[in-house]
Amino acid sequence: MAEYKKPLPAVSSLNQPYWDGLRRRELTLPRCNDCGKIWYPPAPFCPVCWSRNFAWQRLSGRGKVNSWVVFHQAYFSSFKDDIPYNVAEVELEEGPRLLTNLVAVGNDDITIDMPVEIVFDDVTEEVTLAKFRPTRKA
Amino acid sequence: MATENLKDKTAVCGVGHTPYGRRLNRSTIDLAGEAIRNALDDGGMERDDLDGLIVSFGTPIGADADTLAYALGLKLKMYNQTWAHGRFTASCIQWAAMAVNAGLANAVACLATISFSGFRRPMMGGAGDSEGAREAGGGHGEDPVFGMTSPGAGAALVARKYFARFGATSQQLAAVPVAFRKHASLNPAAIMREPVTADDHQNSRFVCEPLHLLDYCLINDGAACVIVTTSERARDLRKPPVYLSGMQGLPGGREEFIWTYPGFGTSQQDVFDYRPGLQPVYQMAGATPQDVDALFTYDAFSILAWTALERFGFCGQGEAAAFTQGGRIEVGGALPMNTNGGLLSEGHIMGWNHQVEIVRQLRGECGQRQVADARIIQWANAYGDSLIYRR
Repeated sequence: MAEYKKPLPAVSSLNQPYWDGLRRRELTLPRCNDCGKIWYPPAPFCPVCWSRNFAWQRLSGRGKVNSWVVFHQAYFSSFKDDIPYNVAEVELEEGPRLLTNLVAVGNDDITIDMPVEIVFDDVTEEVTLAKFRPTRKA
Repeated sequence: MATENLKDKTAVCGVGHTPYGRRLNRSTIDLAGEAIRNALDDGGMERDDLDGLIVSFGTPIGADADTLAYALGLKLKMYNQTWAHGRFTASCIQWAAMAVNAGLANAVACLATISFSGFRRPMMGGAGDSEGAREAGGGHGEDPVFGMTSPGAGAALVARKYFARFGATSQQLAAVPVAFRKHASLNPAAIMREPVTADDHQNSRFVCEPLHLLDYCLINDGAACVIVTTSERARDLRKPPVYLSGMQGLPGGREEFIWTYPGFGTSQQDVFDYRPGLQPVYQMAGATPQDVDALFTYDAFSILAWTALERFGFCGQGEAAAFTQGGRIEVGGALPMNTNGGLLSEGHIMGWNHQVEIVRQLRGECGQRQVADARIIQWANAYGDSLIYRR
C-alpha cells in the first residue's frame, strides 16, 4: 500500500470501538439502552438521559446529505491533488450526523438530501474511513 | 434574574488600539503594550489605576496575560485568559464587569493581540491548525481526516444549508461584505478601504464553496483594548462612561453549533422552527431589538451576520437574506451593522475592534460614519452571547 499522507484520526479509549467497527466493515455508534438515543461523538454516557447503560450498535450505513462544501484552497498539502474536493455532512438514518467525503459523484452533482450509503475506505493497514456514495438502486 | 443587579453598574471608561495591518512585523508584547497604554490615555488613567487584566487571545497568536503582567510591569490583583478562539469577546467583558462589581479589581483591561503574520505556518486551517486534533473534533466542525479544516469551512456548511433551507442565494449574501466595506471606506483605521460591489463578491474566488473570498474576514495583525470599571468610578474619569446595560453569556450544549442558532440542523443540532423570544440580554437592559440604534456582530464570515440577526429576533428565521438588502444595514439605514467595517474589512481583532467602535459611536466620535444620536448599541453573535451598551 502506498504511503498514506493525509491526517489520520485521533483514536482514544472512548472512540476505539468506532474505529474497530469500521475496520470490520461495520458502522457502529453507541446506543442508549434506556432512552434509545444513538449518538455521535462517542461519550462516556448518554448525552440525552445520562444513562451509563449503553451498547455499541451496528447501523445501516445509509443516510442523506445534510450539507456539503467544496474546498478550492489547499490547506493540507496532502489534499492538494484532490482540489476541488468535497466534504459532506451526512445525516444517518439513525439520526447522528457524520462528516465525510462523498465518492463516485461529481461535486456539481451533489444535492441536499441526496440519499447516500457507506463505502469503507481502508486508508492504512490499521485505519478504515467511512465515506459515502450515492445510494445504488437495488 | 440575578444579572439584572448588574444593569448599568459597570462601564467602559477607556478604549485603545494599535494600527491594524496585514503584516506589521511587530512583537505581540509590543502590540499589547501600545493598546493598553492608548486605552489608559483615552480614559485619563495611569498604570496604577489598572489592577485587572483579561486576555482574550494568547499564545500562539497573541501575548499571554502572565507575560504581559511582568513584561509591561503591570500591578495586577487578578488576571484571566480564554483559549485561542474569537468567540470570547463578550465573555471577557462580562467577567470584567463581574470582577469590578465584586471588588476583585477596580479597573480591568480586556485585550486581544493578534499576530497572524508572526508564525511561519498558517494557523487557520491545515497542518498548523491544532483545532481538528481536539478529541471529538474542532470547535467549528473541523475533521482533518476528511480534509475538513479552517473555521470558514464550518461557516460554508451553514451557508449551504441556509441557502437550501430558506431559498436564499450567494448574491444576496454579497450585501453584507459590500455594506461593511462601505463602512471601512469611511474609517481611516480600516485595512481594506476600497469599496466593493456585489459583482466583485460573485467574481471573487471560492475558498470553501459556497463561500467566496469576499465572504471571508481578513488575516492580519493588531491589538485592541477595552477598560471596564464601576460606573461610579467611570463618572469621575476623562470620557463619558459607556454603560454595560445588558449581557448574556455564551450558550453551550448539543443544540449549539458555533456559526448558527438552535434548530438549524448543523452538527448534531435538531431541526425545528427557531423562535428567539425576548433574549435575556434585552430583559436585563430593559430594551428590545427595536430600541437598538446599531448592531455589531462577529463577522468572521458574512453568513454570520444573517444567523446573528435571526438568533436575536431582528428578523424571523430565514428572513435575514431579504432583511440585509437595500442598505438597511448601512450607516443611514434602519439598522447599521459593524460601522467600523467589521472583521471583513476593518480587521480581524477578534471583535475587540468592534467594542472600540461601539464605545466611540456612543460618545459621538465616529466622524463620517457616525450613527446619528446613537444611544443603545448591541454586540450580538451567531453563537448566542451578547452585550448591550448605552451612553
